[in-house]
Amino acid sequence: MSKYLDSIPSFVETIKSMKETIITNIVLIGQTPAPTFKEKRRSKVFMERLAESQVDECTTDGYRNPLGIIHGASEKKPPIFVVAHLDTPFQIDMVNYRVGVNTIKGPGILDNSLGVGILLSMPEILRKLELRFESDIVLAGVIQSVGKGNLRGIRHLIKTWPTPIRGAVCVEGVELGRLNYYTEGMTRCEIKCDITASNGMGDYHKPNPILILNDVINQILKLRLPQRPRTRIVFGQIRGGISYGKTPQDATLGFEIRSDSDRMVKSVFNDIKDITDGIGHEHDVALKITTIANANAARLNFNHPLVKSAGAVMKTLGLKPVSDASESELSIFLSNKIPAVTLGITRGKNQFHLNSSMKINPMFKGIAQVVGVLMAIDSGICDE
Amino acid sequence: MNDNWLKSNTFHYSKFKDLNLLVAAKEQKNLSISLCLPTLNEERTIAKEILIMKSELMVRYPILDEIVVVDSGSEDDTIEIAQAYGADVYLADDIFPQLEKYKGKGENLWKALYVTKGDIIVYLDADIKNIHHRFVYALIGPLLLSDKIKFSKAFYDRPIATGKNKIRPTGGGRVTELVTRPLFSLFFPELTQIIQPLSGEYAGYRSIFEMIPFPIGYGIETSMILDICKKWGLDVIAQVDLDRRIHRNQDTKSLGKMSFAIIKTFLNRIEKQGLIDLNKNIFNEMIQYNLVKNEYQPDIFRIQAIERPPIIEIPEYREKFNIPDQILELKGPSPIDRHPIDRQI
Repeated sequence: MSKYLDSIPSFVETIKSMKETIITNIVLIGQTPAPTFKEKRRSKVFMERLAESQVDECTTDGYRNPLGIIHGASEKKPPIFVVAHLDTPFQIDMVNYRVGVNTIKGPGILDNSLGVGILLSMPEILRKLELRFESDIVLAGVIQSVGKGNLRGIRHLIKTWPTPIRGAVCVEGVELGRLNYYTEGMTRCEIKCDITASNGMGDYHKPNPILILNDVINQILKLRLPQRPRTRIVFGQIRGGISYGKTPQDATLGFEIRSDSDRMVKSVFNDIKDITDGIGHEHDVALKITTIANANAARLNFNHPLVKSAGAVMKTLGLKPVSDASESELSIFLSNKIPAVTLGITRGKNQFHLNSSMKINPMFKGIAQVVGVLMAIDSGICDE
Repeated sequence: MNDNWLKSNTFHYSKFKDLNLLVAAKEQKNLSISLCLPTLNEERTIAKEILIMKSELMVRYPILDEIVVVDSGSEDDTIEIAQAYGADVYLADDIFPQLEKYKGKGENLWKALYVTKGDIIVYLDADIKNIHHRFVYALIGPLLLSDKIKFSKAFYDRPIATGKNKIRPTGGGRVTELVTRPLFSLFFPELTQIIQPLSGEYAGYRSIFEMIPFPIGYGIETSMILDICKKWGLDVIAQVDLDRRIHRNQDTKSLGKMSFAIIKTFLNRIEKQGLIDLNKNIFNEMIQYNLVKNEYQPDIFRIQAIERPPIIEIPEYREKFNIPDQILELKGPSPIDRHPIDRQI
């Protein structure tokens, strides 16, 4: 293992010397808006930038995920994937990043312009580091990932990829030091209460959708959730109404059911569906639960060679690995029995807000760790 | 009006997308190219402009030989940021310190001629939010690929940033449409073919820039077009469609001041050319009114029509670029094809 580990700390300075190229890629891709389901412009820029960096192959799959392929030395070794989701949750038509001496600020910079920018820089980084891999390296900017995208892009990519996949690294903006190797089972739901179809009497007699959702929340909170397998419900979004003094026409509650067990997710979902149906019936309103997205629980063991090697790479760079469950592309790789980890690139704040910001200097270590993990996978640790 | 120019000298940036072709032309012509960014409090955008141009047009393709920032005295972090990303930064006041000091974009551009080394100079405003390297290579393209064109100017869609993360698709170029275009139509109809005469992005041969005067303020773009056309004709000018440029929105009062400077520069030029005869001196003050506590109070802004002479008339400049003093005695059209090396004769 130490054969490649020894060289990794020296990568940091070399990668740092490519600062202009890396930041340029982050800014050019990040300033191209890409709300989920509207990633076309960003996909085009992704392809242009990869072609500019003279990647060996530049293409899209049948679902229009843009891909770049760096050819490996061996035709027999399966490819290694490096993926970052291309889409952002922001529905905005202008993204303007502000670059300072040690920060870049702007919407989506951490989620996931930075990750995509690193993918785009990878051909030149590997060239500069004079690294040649046995496996092909597939750089995939996957579309329709976040929110209602429900990881469609990565699902399609993995499902239709014609060969086995040797291993994968999922790249996220923050936090440097994260080492995700397991995912929770998750169902993302929306409960919508709509009274537009109810009787024509004045507002005074109409049921209030917000109060109905309040009933739903109270009933959900009464559910007994097990400690093992660990299960929780996260209420993340509530919206409804147009004015302080008017009964709203509709209201929506967004939440996720998460558990280490897919079966438990399903069971809790059924309980919540019963609650929803019951309250809808009692109040005589349209109260409907919809599944927006889901992911399966899957994991590598802590002693899996990929997890151990990734941890060793991080320690070589002076980073302390921190593990937690992750969602996103990782779950698709793991549930398809493909060894994979998710790594964070730098430090930053306000990840999911319009004013998010990243630090530039820690990024070089973050990139070096990705290269180190690719070297580990290429050395054959996932082949058994 | 002859409108052939619009057809023959208007390009889309995509025509110059093959950067290898530009590199080859640059090498074949043995030219050097400087990018100049005039700044005043541009900390929000300056780093992006430097980084992207350095990465794409210096590291990846050796098109630019230097990036120079000439600053008017920024009070924010513009200078620190520009230095951190490797630009050569000069304070305008430190260039030709023996001359009287003025503030203005034109002043910075004029002084940049002294501190830059290139045979071609690209001037780029430093407030472009959607900066891309096409803003530079597309302006250089016509200069390198044509032997006739000596000056190129940008035009684009001009969505305006109206609020946080919102843009309005049209509405830019108000001063162009309300001031410059009517004036051009009245006196120089051929120049109306220039779609955005006030665009802040242009490139040209040093041998052109050094022979024309530079107004220190907003009049620079107007005077540059008028002077180049008068000396060398419209055919040495090209215009390039750069697609889209998102910039800061300016309020009507600021645009009023800009218009004042442009009209003044224009009147000055056409009077010199004998096209009009002003019977009295025109004033130097733009007067606008503010409503303060139910009273209208004048807001007076002094805009002097100061111009720097052609920089070739400055002895230090001629000395630095080995230009013989006799060049000033040459009559007739200026020798724009003169290569720097010829100057030593």
